[in-house]
Amino acid sequence: MKRRNLLVGTASLASSALLLAACGTGPGTSTAPTPAADPSGSITFWSSLAGMDKVAAAFNASQSKINVTFETIPNADSGGYAKLSTAITAGNGPDVSTIEYPQLPQFVSNGQVQPLDGLIDKSATVDKLAGEIRSMVQFGDKTYGLPYDAAPMVMYYRQDMLAKAGVEVPRTWQEFEDAAKKLKAVAPDSYLASFNPNQVPATAGLAWQAGAKWFGTSDDSWEVGVNDEATRKVAGYWQKLIDNKLVKVSQAFSDEWSLDLANSTVVGVIGANWSATGIQKRTEASGQKGQWIAAEMPNWGTPAGAFFGGSSFNVTKSSKNPAAAAKFVEFLTTNQEAIKARGNTGSAFLAYPGLTPVAQQAYDASYFGNDIYDVFEKAYSTVSPGWQWGPSWDLTNTALKDAYGNLGTGGTVPTALDTAQKATVAGLEQAGLSVKQ
Amino acid sequence: MATQAPTAVPQPAAPQRRRSTASGTGGRTAALFLVPFFAVFAIAMVAPVIYAIVLSFYAQQKSGLGFGEAKTSFVGFENYLQVLESESFVTGIARLGLYCAIYIPCMVGGAVVFALLLDATVARARKLFQLLVFLPHAVPGVIAALIWAYLYTPGISPVVQALQGGGIQVNFLDAHMVLPAIVNIGVWEWTGYNVIILFTALQAVPREILEAARVDGAGEIRAAVSIKFPLILPALSVIMLFTIIGTLQLFTEPSIIAKATPSITSTWVPNMWAYDAAFIRHNLNQAAAASIIIAALAAFLSLVVTRFSSRMNKS
Repeated sequence: MKRRNLLVGTASLASSALLLAACGTGPGTSTAPTPAADPSGSITFWSSLAGMDKVAAAFNASQSKINVTFETIPNADSGGYAKLSTAITAGNGPDVSTIEYPQLPQFVSNGQVQPLDGLIDKSATVDKLAGEIRSMVQFGDKTYGLPYDAAPMVMYYRQDMLAKAGVEVPRTWQEFEDAAKKLKAVAPDSYLASFNPNQVPATAGLAWQAGAKWFGTSDDSWEVGVNDEATRKVAGYWQKLIDNKLVKVSQAFSDEWSLDLANSTVVGVIGANWSATGIQKRTEASGQKGQWIAAEMPNWGTPAGAFFGGSSFNVTKSSKNPAAAAKFVEFLTTNQEAIKARGNTGSAFLAYPGLTPVAQQAYDASYFGNDIYDVFEKAYSTVSPGWQWGPSWDLTNTALKDAYGNLGTGGTVPTALDTAQKATVAGLEQAGLSVKQ
Repeated sequence: MATQAPTAVPQPAAPQRRRSTASGTGGRTAALFLVPFFAVFAIAMVAPVIYAIVLSFYAQQKSGLGFGEAKTSFVGFENYLQVLESESFVTGIARLGLYCAIYIPCMVGGAVVFALLLDATVARARKLFQLLVFLPHAVPGVIAALIWAYLYTPGISPVVQALQGGGIQVNFLDAHMVLPAIVNIGVWEWTGYNVIILFTALQAVPREILEAARVDGAGEIRAAVSIKFPLILPALSVIMLFTIIGTLQLFTEPSIIAKATPSITSTWVPNMWAYDAAFIRHNLNQAAAASIIIAALAAFLSLVVTRFSSRMNKS
C-alpha cells in the first residue's frame, strides 16, 4: 500500500503541474523588425474566422515569394486566446494572429505583438481608416495591427411582432421600454430582447453608446470606470427591464437562446452586422423569412453607436519573419481579392474603405425584411469616438460575466458592474500597473 | 475528475504471498526494464512539478501603464498568500467540500449496493449487468457534460418538461441547483466504474467462507453485510483514494456546463481557478502556486484516507 500511495500522490501533483508545464515563460525571441523591401519566406497564420483558409490559399496563388500556412484555432469562448497567448509566450506562436479589439491592448501590454511601424505602407493602410476604428489598433504612437472588420452595434427585430404590438421601430431607449411593455400586453410569453450575461462586450457597447469610458490613461496611469455614471444609467435601465420581465436573461448562443428565437419567445437581438447569419440559421426553419429587420440602436436622445466585436490582424512577437507577415496582413485587410476569396461568410462589414461592397456581393441578405447594409452604414457613422479598451480585458470580462451569474438570485446589473470595477482595479494593481479610479 | 487511472485490484485474501526474488543478475534486468518508465516519469512528471514549484516563487511585475517588459523577481511565498487570501479560491475549496459531501456518499454507496446486488444475481445475467453499469463510463467526460447540459436546459430538456408536466418546477441550472446537477453527472459517470472494481473484489471472496455462513443460517442480506462487505473494505479504500484525488481535479463538467448557465463562475472550483489564473489573467506564477496547493491538498487527503483505512483493516 505504501508505495502505491506515494505514486498516487506524485501523480496527482504532476497532473496539476502538467497544466503549467506546457506554457513556460520561455524567453521571448526578440527579433528587431527590419523592413525588407521585398520580403519572402514561409509564415504561419492563425485565425478562428471562417473562410480564412481560402484567403491564405488565394494569397499563396497570387505571388510566389511568401508562403502562408493557415491553421484554424478555437474562438475566444473556447480558449482561442489562451492558446495564442501561451504559444507566443513559449516562442512557437504563429507569425500572423487574429485578435479582437477588446483583447488587443492586453496582447500589446504583454509584449506579445510587434508594432507594424516601418513594416507597412502607412499611407496606403492606416491613414485611410476612419478615426474610431484606427484608435482600436493604435496605442501610444504605434500601430499594433490592421483592422479587419468594424462591427457596428445594431438591433434586430421581428417586424411582424412589432406590428402586432402596434409599435414602430424604437428610436430611443424610452421607446424601447414602451415597445417591450406593449409587446408583453399582446403576447405575454414574448420578450422584446434577451439580456446575455455571457456577452460582456455587449454591455460594454451599450455603455459606450451612452457615453461611458471604461478605460483611459492620464499621466502614466490607467483610469478605470467600469461603473462610471453613464454605465450606471445603462445598468439601472436594464435592471428595470429585467425586473419587469420585459427582457429575458439567457446565455447568448446557448440552446435555450436559439430555441427562444425559433419559437418567438424572444423577438429582438442586440447584435452587430455579424449577427445576421446566426439569426438566419436559427429562425429560417421556423418560417420567419422576411420578418427580421435590422435597425440602429435605440439611443439616449441623440444618435450614438458603438462597435460590438471586430478583429484585427497582427504580427506576433514570435514571428521570425515580420516583414513577410506584415505584407500578408496588408493583403488581408486592404486587398479586394482577400475579401472575394473568403466568399460568403456572412454579412461582413469591413474597416478599409471600398471593401464592404465586395463582401456584400458575396452575401445574400434577402432573408431580411429591410436593407441591413444600409442600417450598418448608418450605425457605423454614429459610433461615439473616444472609447478605449483596457490593458486586461479578460479580467473585466470574466469578473463581469461571473458577477452576472447572480442575476437570478438577488444580484443586479449595477452591483455586478461594481464588482467588475473592483476586480479590474485589483487585478491591474496586482500586476504592478498604476491605476486611478 | 478526468484522470482516474484504471487500477489493479488488491487481492484481499492473499497478503504478502510474493516475496522478493530479485538477486544477482535479476537486479540488472529489473533496472533495464525500469529505465524507460523512470525516464518518461522524470521528463513528464518530476520535471514539470519542479518547474511549477520554481515558478510559484517568482512574480512578474509591470509598472506605469504596463506597456513594455515585465520584471521577474523572487517573491517567496507571496503567490501562495495571494491564492489563499483570494476569496474566490477559498470559496472554490468550500464548494468542492460540499460537492464531496454529496458526491462521495452517493457514488460510493451506490457502487457498493450495485456491486453486492451484482454478486448476488445469477451467473448468466452478470455479464449483461456488468456491461450496463459500466456503459456511462465509456462516454467521454466532455461528451457526457454536453449531453447533460442539454438535459438540464429549461425549454429544451425533455426531463424538465416532463417534471413540469407533473407539476414540479425545477431549474437545474440556477445558482442553487447547479451543484447537485454537477454531482449527478459525476455519480452517473463513475458509479459503474467503481462497481466493476468492487465486483472484482467480491469475486475474490473465498466461496468456502460464504458456504460456511450459509450453513450457519445466514441469508443473502446477512452474508452481504457481515461477510462480503468487510472483505471488500481494502478495495473500498482504494476507491476512496482515487475518488478524492479525482474530485480535486473537477474541471471538465463545470467548464462545459458553464456555457449553458451563468451560475458557474470562471473560478468555480480550484482547478478552474488555476486555469483562469494561467490563461485568462496570464499570471502563471499564481497559477503554479494554486496548483501546488491543490496537489498538496490531494497528498494530504490521500494520507488521511490510507491511514484511516489501514486502521480499519487492522481492527
